[in-house]
Amino acid sequence: MAQSFPFPRRASMRVSFTLALMMLLVFGLIPAVAVLVVSFTDLRGLPGIPVNWVGVENYVSFFSPAKWGDSVNAIRNTIVFAGVSTVAQIVLALGVAIVLNQRIRARNFVRAVVFMPTILGVTVTGLIWSLMFNVTGGPARSVVQAFGGDSAFFGDPNLAMALVIVVQIWMVMGVSVIIFLSGLQAIPEELYEVAAIDGASRWARFRFVTLPMLSPAITANVLLGIVNALQSYQLTYVLTGPFNKATQVLSLLVYVQGFGGKSGTSLSQSQGYASAVSMVQFVIVAVIALASLWYLRGREVRL
Amino acid sequence: MTATRRRRRIPWGAYLRAAVILVVFLFPLLYLLNTALKSNDAFFADPVGLVSDPQWGNFPQAWQQGGFGAFILNSVLYTVGGTLIGTLVTLLLGFPVARGYIWGGKLWSIVFVVILFLPNALITQFQLLLKLGLYDNRLGYVLMVGAGVGIGPLLFSGFVSSVPRELDEAAAMDGIGYWRYLFTFVVPLAKPALTTVAILQGVWIWNEIILATVLLADPAKFPITRGLYNFRDTYSNQWPLLAAATFLVAAPLVVGYIFIQRYLVNGVLGAVKG
Repeated sequence: MAQSFPFPRRASMRVSFTLALMMLLVFGLIPAVAVLVVSFTDLRGLPGIPVNWVGVENYVSFFSPAKWGDSVNAIRNTIVFAGVSTVAQIVLALGVAIVLNQRIRARNFVRAVVFMPTILGVTVTGLIWSLMFNVTGGPARSVVQAFGGDSAFFGDPNLAMALVIVVQIWMVMGVSVIIFLSGLQAIPEELYEVAAIDGASRWARFRFVTLPMLSPAITANVLLGIVNALQSYQLTYVLTGPFNKATQVLSLLVYVQGFGGKSGTSLSQSQGYASAVSMVQFVIVAVIALASLWYLRGREVRL
Repeated sequence: MTATRRRRRIPWGAYLRAAVILVVFLFPLLYLLNTALKSNDAFFADPVGLVSDPQWGNFPQAWQQGGFGAFILNSVLYTVGGTLIGTLVTLLLGFPVARGYIWGGKLWSIVFVVILFLPNALITQFQLLLKLGLYDNRLGYVLMVGAGVGIGPLLFSGFVSSVPRELDEAAAMDGIGYWRYLFTFVVPLAKPALTTVAILQGVWIWNEIILATVLLADPAKFPITRGLYNFRDTYSNQWPLLAAATFLVAAPLVVGYIFIQRYLVNGVLGAVKG
């Protein structure tokens, strides 16, 4: 039950709480729940066109042979993007955090620099890396040519996804590094001293002291990384556009189906179908997040 | 003892690795600046070479051709408005929930977690604004991004326990009302948490591009992300100009980041620990 409220007028709290809750409900939670409702309709988006209930038709359509190519492509891209970027980001971030946890000068400066891309955001980051992988003479092309090769980078369907993942890691790694740093700082120095007395090698100290002690930080990073990456599409949108099949993740499919790849109103949009895609994505995110949480929690070391 | 500590060997390996990390994160920005200072001819003659004859004129030209003044003004409006709304919502929801003053108990904390996992609501957010007559409307966009509080309420309600409950009771005894208590006691005491919440949301709103594409149609209302993206489409074959434009947008962010950096990094660290 509610705690006793010490202030004279309970109404002032109720009113302010209700106003804030309305804000969250109307613009946040209701649209999210409405996605499920809309996914059972043939909503097209243009005002004036009648909306009908179509049951599970959108879902059937999503898994039908005609759409299956796009559907499976987007599902695969989403999972590859989320899986590879999360794992690679965590391994690299752990390495960077260990370096930045050592007693070196200017380490606060390096930490700040690593965290900077988060501030720069998707558009600036996307343009910077479009320049780096630019086919008319970006630095990456010069390096490839120096080894006698050539590449279309984002224009190469076999390479586009890998490059988007590289940029994603560059952009969001700072957050993982911060989480690992806070985990590293919580490890008592004595544990390493005891391990050193026992004659443990550097690798053994990392394997049997650092890694187990970091398991809560690893859980946090995996969960945060997976949920963010499964839902992220802004960077992909800026780097390769919404129509590139090689990098089209589920969220971009929602955008393309719902808005024809543009703003507001277009005849090509089928927003009921797009909402069904949103729901499929939601289920995938929930299942993967819960499964990884269950697995990682089971492995965590308790102090 | 300190003397022997001080004479610890310099960790050259760590310095080397830190230098590699620095290069990976700074090189792209420096390369952007290098490109931004070239003329178009110089860029095509030698795209990767160091700039020899800096074209400072690229910056005013990009600024003018991109119409960035208006876009940045829009972004400031959306970011300040949305962040204020979001932080206020976080405060008004988070405090009574964390204290248990509101009926529902633990249920609200679950709501705060569920917010993080909601499905992609692009379609219904667009439909909602359309129905409310707020599509392609600055106020509609601000309300929508303001409601995107994300991890805010969770973070803030975790912090509230560091404000002792006795303070509530003492203030109430002195006849201070709830609202006044929130703004003159809780806000100053919870400043680190609220600042972190505000900065996280502000960064998110400033960088948002797809909601801006879907919810706004009139280019005069676009935020800078959308403006820069359009500029890219128009000048995709003029890398120096495009680089100058990107640098113009990045520069204030980097400068602003230098000031909030300590707050942000420590705030996120604190949020993780708490």
